[in-house]
Amino acid sequence: MTSKVTTEVLEKGTRQTKTILEIPQKHKSKINYNRKAESEFFVDNSALAGFTGERILYMSVRELIENSLDSCEINHILPVIHLSLKPLDPLNDLWTISCKDNGIGIPSEKVPVAVCSFLTSGKYVEKQQRGLFGVGLKMIAAFSTKDTDHPLKVWSKSEEESEFYFDLRTDIGTNKPITLFKKNVKNNESQIEGNSGFKVQAILRAKLSPVTKNKIYDYISQTSIVNPYAIIVFETDEGKVTFKRRTDTMPYPSLEVLPHPSDMDLKTLKKAILNFMNQKTTLQGILSNSFQKMSNDKAKDIVNRAGLAAKPADQYDEHELIKVVNICKHTKFQSPNTDHLSPIGEKILTVGMTSEYSIIQNKVTTNSGSQTQLTAKILKPALTAYSSRICVVNNRPTIVECGIAYGGDIPSFKLYRFANKIPLLYDEGSDVAREVISEVGINKMGISKKEVKEQFSNVETRSDRTVEYLPIHIFFHICSTKIPYKTAGKESIASEGDLKKYMKSCLSDLYRKVSAQIRRELKTKEDENKLRLYKHYIPFIVSAISESIKIDTKKLSNAFQIMAEKYVSGELSNITKQILPNSDQKKRIEPVNKKINLSNSNGNGIKLSKFDTRSNVSKQSNKTNSPKINISRKNTKK
Amino acid sequence: MTLKDKRHQEITNKIRNIMKDVGNDILVKGIMPSLEIPKVGYDNTVWSDEKRMLTIGEKTVQIGPNSSKKIPTFAQYLVMANAIRKLLDEEMESTIRGMYYATLSTVGDEKNQQKFWSGQDDSDDAIKAIELLTNVPREEFAVTSKPKGMISGPITLSVGGDLIDCNLGSKATSQLIPTNIRDLEIVKVKADFVMVVEKDTVLNNIRKSGFIQKYNAILLTGSGEPDRATRMMVKMLNEKWKKPVVIFADADPWGLGIALRYKIGSESLSYDSDRLVTPNAMVLGMMFSDIYEYNIPKVARLAATPEDMNRANDMKKKPWLQDKRWKKELDLFLGRKEKCELDAFFKYGFKYLADTYLPNKLREAGVI
Repeated sequence: MTSKVTTEVLEKGTRQTKTILEIPQKHKSKINYNRKAESEFFVDNSALAGFTGERILYMSVRELIENSLDSCEINHILPVIHLSLKPLDPLNDLWTISCKDNGIGIPSEKVPVAVCSFLTSGKYVEKQQRGLFGVGLKMIAAFSTKDTDHPLKVWSKSEEESEFYFDLRTDIGTNKPITLFKKNVKNNESQIEGNSGFKVQAILRAKLSPVTKNKIYDYISQTSIVNPYAIIVFETDEGKVTFKRRTDTMPYPSLEVLPHPSDMDLKTLKKAILNFMNQKTTLQGILSNSFQKMSNDKAKDIVNRAGLAAKPADQYDEHELIKVVNICKHTKFQSPNTDHLSPIGEKILTVGMTSEYSIIQNKVTTNSGSQTQLTAKILKPALTAYSSRICVVNNRPTIVECGIAYGGDIPSFKLYRFANKIPLLYDEGSDVAREVISEVGINKMGISKKEVKEQFSNVETRSDRTVEYLPIHIFFHICSTKIPYKTAGKESIASEGDLKKYMKSCLSDLYRKVSAQIRRELKTKEDENKLRLYKHYIPFIVSAISESIKIDTKKLSNAFQIMAEKYVSGELSNITKQILPNSDQKKRIEPVNKKINLSNSNGNGIKLSKFDTRSNVSKQSNKTNSPKINISRKNTKK
Repeated sequence: MTLKDKRHQEITNKIRNIMKDVGNDILVKGIMPSLEIPKVGYDNTVWSDEKRMLTIGEKTVQIGPNSSKKIPTFAQYLVMANAIRKLLDEEMESTIRGMYYATLSTVGDEKNQQKFWSGQDDSDDAIKAIELLTNVPREEFAVTSKPKGMISGPITLSVGGDLIDCNLGSKATSQLIPTNIRDLEIVKVKADFVMVVEKDTVLNNIRKSGFIQKYNAILLTGSGEPDRATRMMVKMLNEKWKKPVVIFADADPWGLGIALRYKIGSESLSYDSDRLVTPNAMVLGMMFSDIYEYNIPKVARLAATPEDMNRANDMKKKPWLQDKRWKKELDLFLGRKEKCELDAFFKYGFKYLADTYLPNKLREAGVI
């Protein structure tokens, strides 16, 4: 309607000026100020939430699993998650993705909004959490609406209610849910077995490359490492993999926390005042009740220093309040609390590390051609270790956790990065953890670069960092109410504040912890190596000898083998030392018996007193080292 | 038993004794066997004033099957020693490459399979080790390399009884210097002196000019880095046949290095200097100073590469190259950063080298 009016006015205007200016009408324009719905904004800028072409299915898997885990942990429920990803219509790139959990569910009247309306979330509090704060599931709903004519199917059962079923789509233009169908599910049609839970099934249009597919597998495997208390069933058209529950211990859930006064700004302060509206609380009282580490005395001192008159808190204007904010920025407060964070913890991470699942794709040849089949493999390391640091990074309490798993089934080096229990799979090269690993020397493990390179000379690594030769998995977990991500993609962590320092001290700590064990492991490996070499080379040595001289081959071979074993076990070390002095010592010990064997210029005059091969070294009298070469030149003969 | 057969016996006995010692250590003494081998390289190379050549020092290395690295090496040495014994017993002859093939095999089981030799360099090293262990040069093992040295002039060789006259009238070709020196004998030498040049191309030019006939000389080249047979031939002509030896190489650090190989020996073969080095040889050219004395045109000079500079600096540091004259020449090179090949004289005409430069230098040295 508005636009039509504008055009008429314009037309009138141009008609008047046409003869003078001759400007074609279409070059004239006017900016229209429209409000865009959140849903439209996020669909148009899907990269903000990580939903870009290739990664749509990967991000969907991530969002669904993270929502499910959060929904279980909030009430300390041991999670059971079923995730399924199957092609529906390969010609049109259509996929069915579904995820079911035993979390707290969503009350039925909130379901449509919680699933479809962007920026609606129960997570808008200062708290360590997974997820993208009310965007993830909505993104799936919006993409499904945008690209297909299928509704989003949702089953939800919260504790107070029976199970409900919904067919939903998103009105992208208005950010409002469209409920096509809603019903109370009867027992025989129930999808949710337990007391509560949530299931969503969506049809998405997306391409899935082998690389992204592997990322999805990695994501699920790594999630199971830090959530060993969860059962995750993952099903695709290629098979079904079950990640078993390996412990019943769950980490304490993270708690909501008051903001730290160093982070105060006008917005947080006004919001705090608003919370105490009509309660006749003084500004001083609001400060001490709304921020941590703010005692009543400290709050009083701050209000005094701001020079504010005593009046009801909601009567202060912004010019007055900004003074409070400024003073807080310049005041020293105690470090923020850390007890509200939820680290993985030594027990749980160790369980995860000692039973590390990975998804294996097997090629199976059947009558109908070759097919890939998924199976899960569990890696058992020879040893693990754990270390953690509690620290403050940019005024945010942060916990750094680090774990090491070494040897056993672990074939080679790998770095695992987690932020608030979410695996980070992309941009490893720019992550602070990479720098940390480069900068902490493996000599802290009590082993040298040379040793490692000798023992693992067959390892193919593009890196020259010695640690990458070792069969070692290094895990880093950072948890904080605000992770210092490097980019909007949230795939790598920046080296901010003292974070790197704490990570380094954590890793050094671990290196020292495992030092004795790794040295033992290396020694065992070296011994195995040696024994194998003896086994392989003794036949060569024995046959070279027995072909040249008369000797009991069997006896020689056996004696050599036994001696080799003794030598490796250390029983023979002193004897070998005796016969292997360095040449200087030898000179001192036996200065006699040095036969000078000089061959003459014809090359066949070598005289040997006896055929002792050990002393057959030709030795000359080199009394003088003074260098001089006589070179004939013009002045020698003239 | 002929002299040769006796020598054969002597060498195979040496190898058998090595085997006996190793067997004894294992079976009787119950200790890890070990081979003591003289160390080869710069840090065990010593200048001998008396002999005027590089000789090997007293440092040794122990090779025994006592570390992961040395187990294969020890086995390789014994396998090679046995192969050499076989070669001698069968009265056959082989090149170093032939020895590599003769001992080729794989080690280990299916899971950890490796090659016995990672390349011919490994087997060459093993041959060298047996030379050092037995103090017998490898030619006496009947192990040789492909001939590359060339000789031309009034000299008659006998190779296994076949006479070879190297004084070929046509001036068109030279004779390869045989590497099976056990079968080689010098029968007759009619020349007045021996001239060694670095490269075969230069030798060809000089030969073609009629230099041999004009000056009654033997021309000889190692075609670059000289093999042992070439070095031994030079030594024999100088010491047994009393012929003066002069050497001409390119005016660059590599050329100088090659010239000195004949005269003082090398670090890698310092254990064999007694057979290979000709201390009386005279290195006459091409000096760096010749570039300027003969005013070689700028276009015919080459700029020194960084490797040249490094090598020259290395040479300057060697204790046996502290002679004032070499220092002066190397300093001149390091200062001007220019090098020059003997071929550069062709700029003055194809016959200039043989007709002017070489006679000049020889006259200065009093050889002609």
